Amino acid sequence: MKRTAITLLALLALTFGAGAASAQDTPRAGGVIKAAMIGEPPSLDLHWTTAVIVQQITWHIYETLYTYDKNLTPVPMLAESHAVADGGRRYTITLRKNVKFHNGKDMTSADVVPSLQRWGKMSTTGKALWKTVEAVEAKDPYTVVIHLKEPSGSLLYGLGSPNNGAAIYPKDVMAAAGEGQIKEFIGTGPYRFVEHKPDRHIKLARFKEYAARSDAPDGGFGGKRVAYADEILFIPVPDEAVRLAGVETGEYHYAQTIKPDQYERVKGSPALEPGVVKPYGWITAVPNHKQGVMANKKIRQAFVAALDMEPIMAAAMGNKAFYRTEGALFYPEQTAFHSQSGVTGYNQKNPAKARALLKEAGYKGEPVRWITTKEYDWMYNTALVAKQQMEAAGFAVDLQVLDWATLVQRRNKPELYDIFSTGFTLSADPALATSVQCNWPGWWCQEEKERILGEMLRETDPKKRKAQIERLQAVFYEDVGRVKFGDYFTFSVTRKELRGFHNAPFLYFWNAWLSK
Amino acid sequence: MLVYVVRRLLAVIPVMLVVATVSFILIRLAPGDPASVIAGPYATGDDIARLQRSLGLDQALPVQLVKWWGRLARGDLGDSIFLRRPVLEAIFERMEPTLLLTAWSMLVAVAVGVPAGVVSARYHNTTVDQSLMAFALIGLSIPNFLLGLLMILFFGVWLGWLPVAGYVPLEGGLWLNLRSLIMPSLALGLVQSALIARITRSSMLDVLREQYILAGRSKGLSERVVIYKHALKNAIIPTLTVIGITFALLVGGAVVIETVFNIPGLGRLIISAVLRRDYPVVQGVVLLIALTYTAINLLVDLAYLAIDPRIRFR
Repeated sequence: MKRTAITLLALLALTFGAGAASAQDTPRAGGVIKAAMIGEPPSLDLHWTTAVIVQQITWHIYETLYTYDKNLTPVPMLAESHAVADGGRRYTITLRKNVKFHNGKDMTSADVVPSLQRWGKMSTTGKALWKTVEAVEAKDPYTVVIHLKEPSGSLLYGLGSPNNGAAIYPKDVMAAAGEGQIKEFIGTGPYRFVEHKPDRHIKLARFKEYAARSDAPDGGFGGKRVAYADEILFIPVPDEAVRLAGVETGEYHYAQTIKPDQYERVKGSPALEPGVVKPYGWITAVPNHKQGVMANKKIRQAFVAALDMEPIMAAAMGNKAFYRTEGALFYPEQTAFHSQSGVTGYNQKNPAKARALLKEAGYKGEPVRWITTKEYDWMYNTALVAKQQMEAAGFAVDLQVLDWATLVQRRNKPELYDIFSTGFTLSADPALATSVQCNWPGWWCQEEKERILGEMLRETDPKKRKAQIERLQAVFYEDVGRVKFGDYFTFSVTRKELRGFHNAPFLYFWNAWLSK
Repeated sequence: MLVYVVRRLLAVIPVMLVVATVSFILIRLAPGDPASVIAGPYATGDDIARLQRSLGLDQALPVQLVKWWGRLARGDLGDSIFLRRPVLEAIFERMEPTLLLTAWSMLVAVAVGVPAGVVSARYHNTTVDQSLMAFALIGLSIPNFLLGLLMILFFGVWLGWLPVAGYVPLEGGLWLNLRSLIMPSLALGLVQSALIARITRSSMLDVLREQYILAGRSKGLSERVVIYKHALKNAIIPTLTVIGITFALLVGGAVVIETVFNIPGLGRLIISAVLRRDYPVVQGVVLLIALTYTAINLLVDLAYLAIDPRIRFR
């Protein structure tokens, strides 16, 4: 009898225990998600800026025609489907019906066409893509036709890009903005904009009439999006120690960009969940191809020959879980595009070769002006270690530490520097990646590379694109377009009660809920 | 008197013009520009140039300067490039936290500093005095941001008594507002109290050596009356001067403390405006500060006039 009672009790306990566990896994609506961000967005107009934080905040508000699945390939979002005709030169995109903007109006082609045109005219990604776009027209309220000058393998990738993305705005908002930034922040997303109190917060609230897709979330960014939280507060907290302390005490549910050396501490805390955002970006040094010492290819080759990437990346990130020494231009996670073929000059650790190349180039100890910043400590730390390695190979390096605002201005002036530090965040489309563009600071405009890029932009077959990437990588290392140190991952910390949250390379909070 | 006041007020105009011009030129001499910051890290040179045009930053500096004067004459400080609102509005939004933080810190500084100084002087050269002054030395040496971070760790993270950061406005409730300001005011005020304690102590010591104190004591006054009624009253004057200076130091300290505790005040406004080259905001805040100092100076001069009949202005 006694034994039976105990067994019953144990069964009961198990049942309830399991019940509690599944209750925690059942999404619950309500609450306010508080996210501690590194700062303020410079704008809330996604067409205007490539700043990552603007994408992170605003793509809860705005949506794009396409987005990416978990393999980072484009899938429809506001689009229902599309048909390609005329040898790949005409895309007829059918829009989803009954999708409402936050102002209550239906989204139609009358909004989509001017949005795409504005994006193609204003955004960096859009402009790159629009070179091949001949016209965009509305066929009927729910059909948009894009006419291309030549077939494009990048069009859907570009339309799905979160960063500086092709957000669909209501036509009136764009008309009111004219040539300037939009003044009303209205989209079709699961959250609507409520208020922006600078240095205090940006408040978003659930959009009750949100038209979610019917397909299940796909592990990437596509499929059904649900706003479980009543509100999201994006709070600018510039001090990293305060972001971490705040998430520890429960003031915030999420803190971004925490120093990797705090990883063990966070792992040991029962209330916190450490998150590695992988992949995230490269850490890189960009040589100036236009003028100065680095315009000489042999000197660039000497630069890359001298480097030992492991200590450089270790100095940048500290903890091994947050970097990998990887020379390929696209990430192993981008299975369609990742390849080691052509990665010939990465991690050479060969100061003797560097010295010989410098001699061949007739380098006479002219100082190499390297501009970097401490505002992103990984930029400064990598520059510092690389400088020592370069000096050991016979370079003279003049490391100039600037604030970020000065750096981003000076790098546009070829007469002011030879190398600058930066990072490249993930680009889903190889042909649109900033890391290989010619019109961007550093001005890597090598002929063969431009030809490959041109072909890649037109190529729609992923297999053929991969072969082009392999050729591109070979040119990248032979000509030393940029110097890639390695891949880095960022560290974000969430509280355990924030559930259903993914540490994706593009931050988002839809489908995440608070368990208490 | 009236003529004097009017003359002084008129003199403010050229001062402001100089400040406006100098701040305009200085912030533009700094490298970096707002367009590159707005455009973001992956923008091309062309994108940045387009933004500069649309922000009117491509015009020649003298043209921009004259426009700035013109707006000033109409009492318009311009619009913030990043905050998408008039500079004056941005400044007024940030007044409350900074004023409250400064006031509370001042209270902490005086409430701790003056008694510590008096006690130290009274027990001159004893262990009490030496330990208090040792604390004051630590207080003078420790940077306020470090004290702030240590307090966050101790009271916020370990003990969980106080919020680690953030600000609750007065409209959110008096207690919540106070709670969000306790740690920042202590971090800022305690460091300043060290200075006040040292000044109070030395001026008390001077006064305690005066003949009239000796006279008071010899006629049998209690030590308490001697110290608090006779000595302190006279010794407090240099302290008052220091409290005035402290006010300026507190405003400077608020810039740092507001960043550490994530308080959206004037200090944060200036820092972020400088970092992202929000020219109109930097100019506006500098102008406002200059105006405040000029006004305080004028008030002090007028107070002299009222207090001391020997002073006559012509």
